[in-house]
Amino acid sequence: MASGSASEFDSALGGTNEFPWTNDDSNSLETTDIELLKKAWRNEKASPEILHFQSDLVQRAREQIQLLEGTMDEFEDNNTDDLLVSIYQMDLDRALFLVRSYLRIRIFKIEKFIAHISRSHLWNRLSDQERNFAKRCIDIMEKHLQQCVLSRLPNGYQSFFKQSVSSVEDDMIPEPQLDTFVFCKSKGAVGAFQLDDIGDEIVDLVADDLYVLRYKSIKALVESGQVDLV
Amino acid sequence: MYGRRASRLLREITCCEPGQITAFNSDTFEQVCNECNEHHQQLLSLIKKIEDEQLDMETTRNEEHYGAVIHHLSLLRNKRCLMAYMYNRAEIIQSMRWKIGPVLPKEIHEKLNYSEEEYFKNHSTAIESYMSELDLDLTVDMIPPKDPYIQVRVLYDIGDVLLGDHSTSLKQNSVHSLRRTDAEKFISQGLMEEFVG
Repeated sequence: MASGSASEFDSALGGTNEFPWTNDDSNSLETTDIELLKKAWRNEKASPEILHFQSDLVQRAREQIQLLEGTMDEFEDNNTDDLLVSIYQMDLDRALFLVRSYLRIRIFKIEKFIAHISRSHLWNRLSDQERNFAKRCIDIMEKHLQQCVLSRLPNGYQSFFKQSVSSVEDDMIPEPQLDTFVFCKSKGAVGAFQLDDIGDEIVDLVADDLYVLRYKSIKALVESGQVDLV
Repeated sequence: MYGRRASRLLREITCCEPGQITAFNSDTFEQVCNECNEHHQQLLSLIKKIEDEQLDMETTRNEEHYGAVIHHLSLLRNKRCLMAYMYNRAEIIQSMRWKIGPVLPKEIHEKLNYSEEEYFKNHSTAIESYMSELDLDLTVDMIPPKDPYIQVRVLYDIGDVLLGDHSTSLKQNSVHSLRRTDAEKFISQGLMEEFVG
């Protein structure tokens, strides 16, 4: 998405400025909902595991989209300039895309790692609706595999979560690959940051520098919002 | 060799283009299931032998013990292969709900087994009820919008349609520039396609 479009978004979804292109206040960039949503979307897209659901943010964005849709209807009634209408329409479409894509990426992750999510702390990160979806998903997946594979196997080997009764832990569950590398950027200087447990690898995270690091090692920083994935 | 048939199943998945599905290989699948049960029979008889000789199960390390271990591990491997086969297919089936829609074309239907068809239906209903809880259709808008207007080619005669404030005649094979939001519903019904010139 072109960076120039950011100011259009701001005015359409946050500001009251009549002319979108005059709103070039860089301070507002970090604080408008659409910027926050973009950030949440990027983080979700780049991270291998599911992140906390931004429920307030999504709700606010959807309310603002509805408002904008109302404004669009008014424009149509008032015969406003076509160019202006299409710019607003573009804004609206892009914002809607962000919301949809954000929710969609999460659903894909739930579909993929359903068994892992339902049996770990990740469960708390889902929204109520996502939990309902996840519950149904795991039921039908379990039923399907039960029907096709597990019921045909000998006693003691029929568990969905374990390889056999002799396994101590659940060892049949696909988990996201947290070792994968991600591109990230920190907003403020984090300072010297330890990448591994032993303290052999320390990196000095400078604000606005781009890093390629293992997701696992910066997981905590992503969750606390100190570092953004790009 | 133990486990060879099961690996053949998985090779089918990896040889295939990503996102494409092959016909369910019920023959090999059956054979692997039978192999699992044979392993189990062997395993049980070896354990019985150890018990008959009144040896301690935990500490005995004779040929029966190692034979049993091999059968156990082969069984586990077969199970993992069978599960991976079904699971990977299920993932492809899930993705079809997003790419194709709630109704699958006949040629894909033929490649699924009974349980997979049921799985597709159930999964599809789960997605639909999630979307209705949200009151937002997530299956549209799959790529970021670039322009409020797009070029479309009409695939089937649609007739006169009121778009905005003027009516447009949508004849087969004609090309129009429409508002994306207007065109989307026709595209998802398969009545027109995006025209990339």
